[in-house]
Amino acid sequence: MTTSASEAGGGAAVQRESFKDIALRTLSTAGQAIAQLASGLNTAVLAALLLLWLALTAVTSVVGVGLLMAPAPLRALHALAGRERARLARRGPEVVAPQPPPTRLRAALVDATTHRELRWLVRHSTLGLLLGLLGVLLPITAVRDTAFPLYWTFMPENTTATSLGIGNAQTWPDALAVALLGVGWIAIILGLAPGMARLQSGPGRRLLAAGPDVDLSLRVAELTATRAAALDAHATELRRIERSLHDGAQNRLVSVAVLLGAARRMVARDPAGADELLERAQSAAETALAELRTVARGILPPVLADRGLAGALSGLAADCAVPCRIDVDVPERCAASVEATAYFVVAEALTNIAKHSGAEHAVVTARGSGGRLVLSVEDDGRGGADADGGSGLTGIRRRIAAHDGDLTLTSPPGGPTVLTVDLPCGR
Amino acid sequence: MRIVIAEDDALLREGLALLLRAEGLDVVATAGTPDEALDAIDVHKPDVAILDVRMPPTHTDEGIVAAVEARRRRPDLAVLVLSAYVEQSFATELLGGGVSGLGYLLKERVGRVEEFLDALHRVAAGGTAIDPEVVAQLFTRSRQDTRLERLSPRERDVLALMAEGLGNSAIAEKLVVTDGAVHKHIRSIFAKLDLSPTDQVDRRVAAVLRYLEDLRRLT
Repeated sequence: MTTSASEAGGGAAVQRESFKDIALRTLSTAGQAIAQLASGLNTAVLAALLLLWLALTAVTSVVGVGLLMAPAPLRALHALAGRERARLARRGPEVVAPQPPPTRLRAALVDATTHRELRWLVRHSTLGLLLGLLGVLLPITAVRDTAFPLYWTFMPENTTATSLGIGNAQTWPDALAVALLGVGWIAIILGLAPGMARLQSGPGRRLLAAGPDVDLSLRVAELTATRAAALDAHATELRRIERSLHDGAQNRLVSVAVLLGAARRMVARDPAGADELLERAQSAAETALAELRTVARGILPPVLADRGLAGALSGLAADCAVPCRIDVDVPERCAASVEATAYFVVAEALTNIAKHSGAEHAVVTARGSGGRLVLSVEDDGRGGADADGGSGLTGIRRRIAAHDGDLTLTSPPGGPTVLTVDLPCGR
Repeated sequence: MRIVIAEDDALLREGLALLLRAEGLDVVATAGTPDEALDAIDVHKPDVAILDVRMPPTHTDEGIVAAVEARRRRPDLAVLVLSAYVEQSFATELLGGGVSGLGYLLKERVGRVEEFLDALHRVAAGGTAIDPEVVAQLFTRSRQDTRLERLSPRERDVLALMAEGLGNSAIAEKLVVTDGAVHKHIRSIFAKLDLSPTDQVDRRVAAVLRYLEDLRRLT
């Protein structure tokens, strides 16, 4: 296995972070920001259309017709707000939804949630739309300009305008200048895209989340359900431990007692036979010890406490039959139960990869930021893994649900299989 | 004595068979599942069946279910059930239909070979062998019962040993008293539990059953 330099906890390794790593990280951050801006453009266009509709309704309300139609755009507003919440939650911390607001006009006009959603609508359909457009156009322009010297000679006269719109490129130096401009666009994307993405999602995060004065009973109900699931998962765990103690280690110890009893009866009349029985009793005692260790590790792997998540996952990768690369960047410790869940997720995933996937390589990534721990386990095997099948995965799913986290498995036939788990850090 | 052993843990199954064979007993078949055990009992017609409680598929009470089924098919079959832990409902279910030729012991008692062989022979001869742990639980659990309250501590000790299946002289030996003293205690127990001497049933068995009945009423 190879361990990447960005593994958490390896202080020296982090300092020696190579230029390549920095460049890769900057690129991936910018790429994610562009993707986020583009997905924001999607809702922003809808927001602009909805704003028009609302304006039209407001104007026609003056003559009375609009009043009859008012509930429809309000419902659309709530639906769009819900969609935006889901979009934001996919790309960062969850946006906790307030209670569904009323759609009856009189109630809606004084409803705080509706007011906040309207304010968001205005911002997102203007600023959000602009940022989204920039987010999509910038990369296109950057590619067009950077590659300009490759194709400009094939373009007809007077169509070779620069992206800034000043003059036409007529000569090679002009063309190279355009390429330079393209490089400039790329620099702007790398530098500004993450900030733009934050700016675009800001109003949504601020205005679509439940205000401090809003009734959170829905959220409470949801948490009650996950808490019940947590207790359920806990009971299942205890049952599993009880079973492995009674049917495993205890049976071994009974064997020890039986063999010792037999040996005592035999010692006088057949010392050699008694010795053989004692030998067997000893190995049964050793098996009992090994089984106790396994049970203890199944409850809470000691390696987690000793060496942290990064060390524990490296250990799993080292034991895996398929060559496995580990890349852990989790600056802060999570709650012990969350780390244990992460550990069991990866353990189960690697077991499945070794058993079923036929993969040649696996990559385990763990990222911690913004109070969330995101794990991904990827392999280059044959794919076609079933998200619902397998008792191991069911247990893992229950554990994750208990932590209020998410599990997604994509495994098209032919691979690759990617298992992603998103857990709240619990601290 | 012909014996069938049913235990899903292979190592323990072989260890048990080895021990019994070394003692000159005839282990005619071993089984890993309740179904195999019932088949083996049908085929080999053993004198005693030794059954583990937790067996596949669910690892809960398969052994008890198999024991009850085996006794239904052959009421004279002696059955000794081995359990990883004491579970009152198992004991009640197993012994509820009569206690003769039945035993319920913790697994680790097998290691005390002499006592285990005693229990095995007792069960094979139509007697009873109930684990001291089970009996101790019976006593703690049935304390609310007023009829049992009437017994003196010494009488409880005697009843506990009776429930384990020991005879009068064995009880006397354990308690370091004379046979006559034990006899007196037992008479007193029968009187306090309202078991008249004219009863047709074996009063020793009835005394044990009373505990189990009381227990069932309480739970």
